[in-house]
Amino acid sequence: MLFSSPEFLYYFLPITIALYFIVPLARGRGESPGARARDPRRRNLVLLAASLVFYGWGEPRYLLLMAAQVLSGWFFGLFIDRWRGKGLSKAALIASLAVGLGGLGFFKYTDFFIANVNALFGAAIPLTRIALPIGISFYTFQILSYDIDLYRGKTELQRSLPAFAAYVTLFPQLIAGPIVRYADVARSLGEREHSVSRFALGARRFTFGLGKKVLIANVLGELADICRASGEKSLLMAWLYIVSYAFHIYFDFSGYSDMAIGLGRIFGFEFMENFNYPYTSKSVTEFWRRWHISLSSWFRDYVYIPLGGNRAGPARHIFNILVVWFLTGFWHGAGWTFIAWGGYFAALLLIEKFFLGRVLEKLPSFVSHIYLALFVLIGWTLFDAPELSTAISRAGLMFGAGGGVLAGGESLYYLRSCAVPLALALVGSTPLPSKAAAALGRRAGRLMTALEPLAVAALLTLITAYLVDGSFNPFIYFRF
Amino acid sequence: MTGKTEKTPLRHILTLAVSVSALGGFFILNCAVKAPEILESERRAAAEFPKLTAGTLLSGEFMRGFEDFAADSFAFRDAFRTIKAFSVFEIFRQTDKSGLYRDDLVGAGKFAAPTETDMRRTARKLKSVADSLGGLNVYVSVIPDKSAFAGRKYPGFDMKLAESIIAEELPDARYIDLVPELGADSFYKTDLHWDQSKIAGVADKIAAAAGGAPPPDGDAVPPLFQTRPAGAFCGVYRGQLALPMPPDTMIYMTPSPGTVTRYLDDKTLSWEEGEMYDLEAFAGRDPYDIFLRGARALIAIENPDAGEGARELYLFRDSFASSLAPLLIPYYSKITLIDLRYIDFRVLPSLVEFSPGADALFLYSSQILGSPDILNAG
Repeated sequence: MLFSSPEFLYYFLPITIALYFIVPLARGRGESPGARARDPRRRNLVLLAASLVFYGWGEPRYLLLMAAQVLSGWFFGLFIDRWRGKGLSKAALIASLAVGLGGLGFFKYTDFFIANVNALFGAAIPLTRIALPIGISFYTFQILSYDIDLYRGKTELQRSLPAFAAYVTLFPQLIAGPIVRYADVARSLGEREHSVSRFALGARRFTFGLGKKVLIANVLGELADICRASGEKSLLMAWLYIVSYAFHIYFDFSGYSDMAIGLGRIFGFEFMENFNYPYTSKSVTEFWRRWHISLSSWFRDYVYIPLGGNRAGPARHIFNILVVWFLTGFWHGAGWTFIAWGGYFAALLLIEKFFLGRVLEKLPSFVSHIYLALFVLIGWTLFDAPELSTAISRAGLMFGAGGGVLAGGESLYYLRSCAVPLALALVGSTPLPSKAAAALGRRAGRLMTALEPLAVAALLTLITAYLVDGSFNPFIYFRF
Repeated sequence: MTGKTEKTPLRHILTLAVSVSALGGFFILNCAVKAPEILESERRAAAEFPKLTAGTLLSGEFMRGFEDFAADSFAFRDAFRTIKAFSVFEIFRQTDKSGLYRDDLVGAGKFAAPTETDMRRTARKLKSVADSLGGLNVYVSVIPDKSAFAGRKYPGFDMKLAESIIAEELPDARYIDLVPELGADSFYKTDLHWDQSKIAGVADKIAAAAGGAPPPDGDAVPPLFQTRPAGAFCGVYRGQLALPMPPDTMIYMTPSPGTVTRYLDDKTLSWEEGEMYDLEAFAGRDPYDIFLRGARALIAIENPDAGEGARELYLFRDSFASSLAPLLIPYYSKITLIDLRYIDFRVLPSLVEFSPGADALFLYSSQILGSPDILNAG
């Protein structure tokens, strides 16, 4: 089920919210009277049931797979904890990794390996053509984070299967992140606070995220599709395509993260921020500290640092970075373009680390911004291309490989037609709007009392209008 | 809900109230209001509530059906569609809504760009039909999209490319250029079709180029056509655009009272005589069906008052010809309209006897040129 759909917004969500808040908080086993009053075990069950409906709505076949992965993660957690300090605990962790990564590998990468074996050895092994279960990359990483942290002693055992299942399947972040670690929400599973303010802030964040998705990402995604399919080989068309795609993917994914964070807040959870205005960065290193933060930090904590990070000499450091970025690229998709995309950023990060970083610091800001924009945009050509040759061709068009044609009728038309959405995206990808809202709040607090609910109402009206009428609505990160 | 409500800012209370009212209110409204059967403004049947069975649940059919139902039966759907259109054109200042535009000169329209490959495939299909019409004089013409006459240059149908493809793929057919006979006023403002009362020049040009005989002339001869108003006409783009637009006025032109119109009955495959204009259809879901009763595989119009030397015309066509054929009939003894979307060309010889020396005209709009798969030919 898509967040940006009438069935989610006006059927699933009101029913879920109503059931969730109707169910009373239980008398819990917490130590303090407050904890006992806030024990949300029954509400966890509501969330679990709602999340299963949410996931099963689009993928009824894969509910069993998700259930099996949840059971496996939970059982191995029990064994890890029970045999703590013994070799068997490590064996349970390895088994957990094997089951989790094995499932991910089988469903996501089997056909990629078969196709490459066929190409390399001239074999004719038939492809399995298994459909990728939605969200498998996200929930697998969440389960692994639990078992690894448990093994490391960084989190406590979750004895309640429903609570663990609620954590993994929590619908706000189930299929497109942020990747929530168990350790970050463990406390909330047993005790969390609900309030009018939390609900209001969550609803506001959700609505603004939905607005980013529906009013900007979808419009620019449609523009990117048109540019991609166009026969016009002009410079303007090439740049219009990659700029609209860059904004589309940012507003699509960060909008989804906003919605997830907002929904989480409504139900009493705090999820980590996943984006921090990445396009305002001045270097690729900074960009990756601001883009898909939950994934970058996952790889940092569970791959890069265990490999030795930057503490084991330059050669090993380079190797570690290459491994992490190979995995980052491969996580995004079973294709050479994604691997090349990971490698491309690994190379840029290494160049910045050993040479360019110091130069960038001394350059005027606008030069650094241009540098970052240029290399990120080239990176998106790799990310969006079905094949490497297509990426090279599209990147070539950006630099005049189309025969030096500056603009054509089609590109000029769409530049004019989408000028306002593009301008809004440009401004919206910076902190300016939130700074302006904060400044307004400081200077005219009373005005904000009326403006904030009005803005939410206006946005909801506009979003509903687009959802009722619209048909263009894919979420890019569902396929990862 | 728990928490210290006494410190809750008013704006949070209001935001919560707005959110809950919107989500809950529309949930109740959507459940309470009876779902429509027909979406009048979009001229289509609304999606029905899907059957709920174990099979439809496991296959996902129920979910897909419910998604369509939820969108189609949404309370105040038309008002929301208007809000979206207003937002697209007035707030975001876009010049089209997924290809739908509103133009000062031609009104509402939709641009689409048929690919060269598709147009070539269509042309090759027409060539295979033309090659089988031995002994006939073959003509071909393309109806330009009305966006060609718009005040703004929209991307989309490339008339020059279409003409060059036709010339390459149908070298033996004579091309009739209709563009000089058309203008922004030739089309309805709310629909894709041309206005019958504004295309006499098109009929004259085709007749002059494609073997039409001049109709009898003289003081004793009544006028070729009588002009009759059908009423206000809201075309297909008006509903799709969802913006307030004044309706067009539909006028239809009746030729000589002796003209006989016959339709092929789809079920019995027999020819039935009927009226040239279906006034009941004008009041129906698609008022343009007034012309020759809408979508039909085969229609024949006979003209007993045709002048000497008048010939037969076989018109391979789409919906645009429904309003053109009545204007052409004074120039021919008989016009047979053949819509290859609804009949396979291979069965035509059993239903139509092609007279040697007659004329055949392939007349298609940009939409059909870009959709080769819908033609049952080649």
